[in-house]
Amino acid sequence: MNKQKLFYVPMIALVLLFALFSPMFSVYAQEAAETPKKTLIMGTSPDFPPYESVDAKNNGEIIGLDIDIAKTILSELGYELQIQSMDFSGLIAAMQTGRVDFVMSGMSATEERKKSVDFSDPYYFARNTIVSKADNNYETLESLEGLVVGAQLGSVQEAVANQVPNASEVRKLNKIADLILEINSNRIAAAIVEDAVAVEMTNANPSLVMNFLPADANDGGYAIAFPKGSPYVEEFNTVIADMKESGKLDELLQQWFPEPEPKKVDSVESSKALIDFSVLQGYVPYILKGVGVTLLFTLVSALLGLILGSILSLFKISGIKPLKWFATGYTSIFRGTPLLVQLTLIYYATPQLTGYDIPPLLAAGLAFGLNSAAYLSETIRAGIMAVDKGQQEAAMALGIPYRKMMISIIFPQALRNILPALVNECVALIKESSLVSIIGVADLMRRADIVRADTFRAFEALLLVAAIYYVLVLILTSLAHMLERRLRRGD
Amino acid sequence: MIKVQQLTKSYGKQQVLKGISTSVNKGEVVAIIGPSGSGKSTFLRCLNLLEVPTSGTILIGDQELTSPKADVASIRQHIGMVFQHFHLFPHMTVLENITFAPTQVKGISQEEAKRKAMELLTKVGLADKADSYPSKLSGGQKQRVAIARSLAMEPEIMLFDEPTSALDPEMVKEVLNVIKDLADSGMTMLIVTHEMKFAREAADTIYFLDQGQLIESATPDQFFTNPQSERAIRFLEQVL
Repeated sequence: MNKQKLFYVPMIALVLLFALFSPMFSVYAQEAAETPKKTLIMGTSPDFPPYESVDAKNNGEIIGLDIDIAKTILSELGYELQIQSMDFSGLIAAMQTGRVDFVMSGMSATEERKKSVDFSDPYYFARNTIVSKADNNYETLESLEGLVVGAQLGSVQEAVANQVPNASEVRKLNKIADLILEINSNRIAAAIVEDAVAVEMTNANPSLVMNFLPADANDGGYAIAFPKGSPYVEEFNTVIADMKESGKLDELLQQWFPEPEPKKVDSVESSKALIDFSVLQGYVPYILKGVGVTLLFTLVSALLGLILGSILSLFKISGIKPLKWFATGYTSIFRGTPLLVQLTLIYYATPQLTGYDIPPLLAAGLAFGLNSAAYLSETIRAGIMAVDKGQQEAAMALGIPYRKMMISIIFPQALRNILPALVNECVALIKESSLVSIIGVADLMRRADIVRADTFRAFEALLLVAAIYYVLVLILTSLAHMLERRLRRGD
Repeated sequence: MIKVQQLTKSYGKQQVLKGISTSVNKGEVVAIIGPSGSGKSTFLRCLNLLEVPTSGTILIGDQELTSPKADVASIRQHIGMVFQHFHLFPHMTVLENITFAPTQVKGISQEEAKRKAMELLTKVGLADKADSYPSKLSGGQKQRVAIARSLAMEPEIMLFDEPTSALDPEMVKEVLNVIKDLADSGMTMLIVTHEMKFAREAADTIYFLDQGQLIESATPDQFFTNPQSERAIRFLEQVL
C-alpha cells in the first residue's frame, strides 16, 4: 500500500507554513542588505507609559523615554536599533536565549535580577507612590497597616509593598490597568506604583489620588539589562555618563514626564463613568488591525491541526503497532500538558536547540496546530470509524488504491460526520488565540492590553475586543452552517 | 478464467470454508445457492480478497491472487463486485460514482469516462438520473447504478453478492433483468442468490454450498430436477 507517501504530507504542510511567512523573512533580509551598520535588538514590554508604550492612535510605533534613550545611545555608538515587543515576564528569558541583545523596559537593577543578567549604570531613579481612592488618601506605608495592597507583578514596587507593616495580603497583578480595577472595586486599598506611572493613572481616573513615598536608598534605579557577559555594557555606560554630564538625559526626562498638576495636552479626557467608550477614540483602528493577525493565526493553526490530526488518526487506525504507539503517545502528551507551556517551550527552546530564530507568529501557529492535532486526531478517528465499512469494500473492489480511497471517499464522509466538532475546535482556537499575546504577537487581546495600558482605563478595550471575538465566532459558525448544507446535499 | 484449489477460511476456531476446489470458464454464469450460513458470501468475497483465505490458492487468469507478491489492486480492477447494500458513494452524484474509478484508477479522460458512463446508464435505464445523488434513488435504481459503476471499469469477471436481497419485491425484477442481459452478453459471472427461478433461467452452472463445502456443481436442469445429495433435496424442498 501507499502508506509511506502519507509521510510527505506533514512535510508539505510545514513548507506551506514557511511559505506563508516567507514575505516577512524577505523583508528582514532586504533591511539587512541595505544597512551595513550592525543592528542591535532591544526587548521591551510596551505597556508602561511614559517609559514605553505603543503609539496606537498613530502608526502603532513603540515610543517612550526608554526608546529615546536607546536611540540616542545606539546612534552615538553607530548601531541600528530594532525593537522587539514582548510581555514583561518574557524579557529575561528572551535575553538568556539570545533573542534580544539588551532590554530597556523600566527595569530596576535589583540584586535578584543581577544573578541572571548584567546591568548598565542606572539612568533614572523613580520614586514610589501610593495610589488609592481619593476618599482614603493613604500617605505613608504605615497608614496601610493591615490592609490589602497591590503592585505590578515582577516590579520593584512589589518589594516596597512587602514592607507595609502587617499587610493582610500583597496582591500582584500583571497590568497597571488591573490594579486600577482592583482599587475601584475596593479589592485592594491601595497600589504601590512608581511616580511617572502614578501621575498618568490619576490623570486618567479622577477618583484616584497619589502620595509620594520617601526615596529608597536601596533602590538600584532603572538600568539597561544585558545577557550575562555581554560585550556592550562598557560602551553603553560610557554614553550614559556622557548624557548625564551634557544634560541630554534631563532633557529627555522632562520631555516625557508629565507634571502632576496640569494634564498632558494629548492625555485622554478623564471620565468619572465606570465605562466610557469615548476613551477609545483613535484606538479603534489599531485594535481592528489585530483581527487580521488573530484570523491568520487561527487559519494556520486550524489547517496544521487538521492535516496533522488526519495523519495521526490514520496512524491510530493503521494497525501498524509503532505508528499506533506514536500517535497515542503524541495525543497523550499534547492533551495532558498546558498549551501555555507548549507555546513557551516552542518559542524559547527552538532557537536554542536549532539556532533558527522562530518568529512569534510561526511559533504560535505551530504550538496551537500541534496541540489542536492531538484533539482532532481523536475526533477524525471517530468520524472515520463512523463511515460504513461497505464504502471501503466498494472502493477496494473497484481497485481504488488506499490513499485515493481515504482522500476522496472516506474523508469527505468522515468530515461530514464531524463538522460540528470541527467548528467547535475552530471557535476554541479563535478564542484561545488570545494566549499568544504572552510571546508578544500583536493579536486582538494583546492590542487590547496595550490600549488599556495606554488609556489607564480598565474595561472599554476589553469589552470592545470581546465584541469583536463574538462577531468573528458568529461569522465562523454561519460559514460552517453553509458548508454543512453543501455537504449534506447528498441526503 | 478462475481456478480455486482447497480454499479454506476460518474465523478463530470456526471454519467457514472447508476446502473448496472448482474452476469457472470464460463466459460461464454461476449461481451460488445454499442455506444461510453455508459460506456462499464468504466464498464470493474470497475471490477478490475482500476476505483473505486461510489457506488454498485462487488463480484469476494466470495470476495467483493468493500469492504474497500479487498486485491485488490491479487484479481487482478486472473483477467487478455488486453488494447486497449497494454501497454507492453518498457524497457523489450518480455520474461521479460511475466515473470516479475509471478516471482516478485507470487514468481515462473525464469526457471519455462520462461518455461511457452515460452509455451504461442508458443500458440500465437510468440516464435521466445522472446528476441525482444516491439518496434520491429507490433501492432498485441504486443497485442498477452500482452495476453500472462496476461495469465502467470494464471487468472480465462480475461478482454479485445477493444483489436483490435488500430490495422491495417490486424492484427485484428490474435488477434481475439487468443482470440477465449481462449474462447473455457473455460476461463471466458468479451470483450468490436466493432467487431460484432466476438461477434456473440465467445460470449455466449451479453451485450448492452447505456448511462450508461445495456439495454439488451441476447444470440448472440437473440440479433442480435431479439433485444428487440428501442436503440439496432437503434445501430444495424448503425453498420451492
